[in-house]
Amino acid sequence: MVKISDVRQEAKRLLEKGKVRGVVGYVPGTRGGWAIPYLIQEAERAEQLVWDPTCVHNLALFVVEEKKEQAKQKEPDKRPLAVMVKGCDSRAINVLLQEKFINREEVVLLGVSCENSGVVDRRKITHLLHGQQAGEIRFGDNGNIVVVVNSERRIFDPQEVLADRCLECQYNFPVVFDYFYGEKIKKTPPAPYAQVEKLESFSLEKRRQFWEEEMARCLRCYACRSVCPMCYCAECVVDPISFAVEPTTTAEEKAKKIKWIEKSPLLSENFVYHLVRAIHLAGRCVDCGECERVCPEGISIRLLNKKLEREALRLFNYVAGTDSQAPSLLSTFQETDPEDFIW
Amino acid sequence: MNKDHEPRIVAFLCKWCSSAGSDMAGVSRLEYPPNVIPITVMCSGSVSPIYILSAFNLGADGVLVSGCHPGDCHYIKGNMYARRRMALLKELLPYLGLEPERFQMSWVSAAEGVKFTQIIKDFVAQLKPLGPQTYLRRSL
Repeated sequence: MVKISDVRQEAKRLLEKGKVRGVVGYVPGTRGGWAIPYLIQEAERAEQLVWDPTCVHNLALFVVEEKKEQAKQKEPDKRPLAVMVKGCDSRAINVLLQEKFINREEVVLLGVSCENSGVVDRRKITHLLHGQQAGEIRFGDNGNIVVVVNSERRIFDPQEVLADRCLECQYNFPVVFDYFYGEKIKKTPPAPYAQVEKLESFSLEKRRQFWEEEMARCLRCYACRSVCPMCYCAECVVDPISFAVEPTTTAEEKAKKIKWIEKSPLLSENFVYHLVRAIHLAGRCVDCGECERVCPEGISIRLLNKKLEREALRLFNYVAGTDSQAPSLLSTFQETDPEDFIW
Repeated sequence: MNKDHEPRIVAFLCKWCSSAGSDMAGVSRLEYPPNVIPITVMCSGSVSPIYILSAFNLGADGVLVSGCHPGDCHYIKGNMYARRRMALLKELLPYLGLEPERFQMSWVSAAEGVKFTQIIKDFVAQLKPLGPQTYLRRSL
């Protein structure tokens, strides 16, 4: 079991000694005990840190955001940033290290293990409680989740309430860390790619129907892109925001700017957007499931990323975020790569 | 489906091998279907998946990416990177319900004019029964 007091103590010590410029962690939220991500800068606030099944956010995102913020400052604080990381968050950090977006000295990682549990899915909880407000959600014994509703304790099986990604997770403890809390319990999900395989077993026509229904709902709010720690490009290829059209912009300048897809949420454009995003995340996505969690329309974005994750494993024996020294999936090749599809 | 549909193929040909191969087909006076729109790129490794998706988006019925044979790349290993990238895309497109025949990759050297014509013939023959590609086509 992760002793949160140890995490708080270490966070406090780091802040008091001025070794870090801040600690990114989870603090109790204002609504129904759901944790929220928070940047702690004063040592006394370290007492607020929490670790429970509502710590759903991938905090690697805040490493990216902070890095971008620092680039804008004239005299940035050079001290590292401490971050609480779960298994998936630590793999995201590994990918950022691999891509040299950040250096290892820039972060202090407080690794927390999910052990034999994980984080909960808000939609599942709401459904099970019939809309009632959960007062407190915490880890129980044997990976069970304890939910307190109206001062009544209810115990749920992890299969019922955990997020899909946690049920399919194979890295439930941090792979890169400076401090480690909890136990390293290796989880082996029975069928990590069951959903992908199920969809693959459908006929082409049925798959098309499935994806048309999914993509038709996309509003192109780009929440999936905003929440993704891997989508750190200053300018996105599908949404060239940095190209300001001013009265002085010449027709030639406008013509030079390639507009890959339309901004309107048309079915075809939604397809291209999600396909491009999936391809850009190939070999980088660590399956933290944040894109699917924040999607206001509940589009199965994870199914796309999971597919490429499996192909990377099947074709190239590559798993994202496990080794920060290895070359990334698409920046390397092997003589023996499959080519039976090539004419 | 309209069986008389003439498919439009966008072919990304690498400058050093496949484009020269198509030239070879031309100077050898070999005949092949006129359905292909060739786009010369510097290397098959420079073909981003967004080029292919964009081609489909703008109305292509099929997309061909062609580069040098492994080991012959002018830039030593560009085609090897392309091979990885395209392998993933080749898996992803049918997963979303696009017919797998619509996207092909091939190795064509500068001397293989005959192979180039054969590839185009085969590709057109495969695409004809599928009819027009409307799945990813922009519908304004």
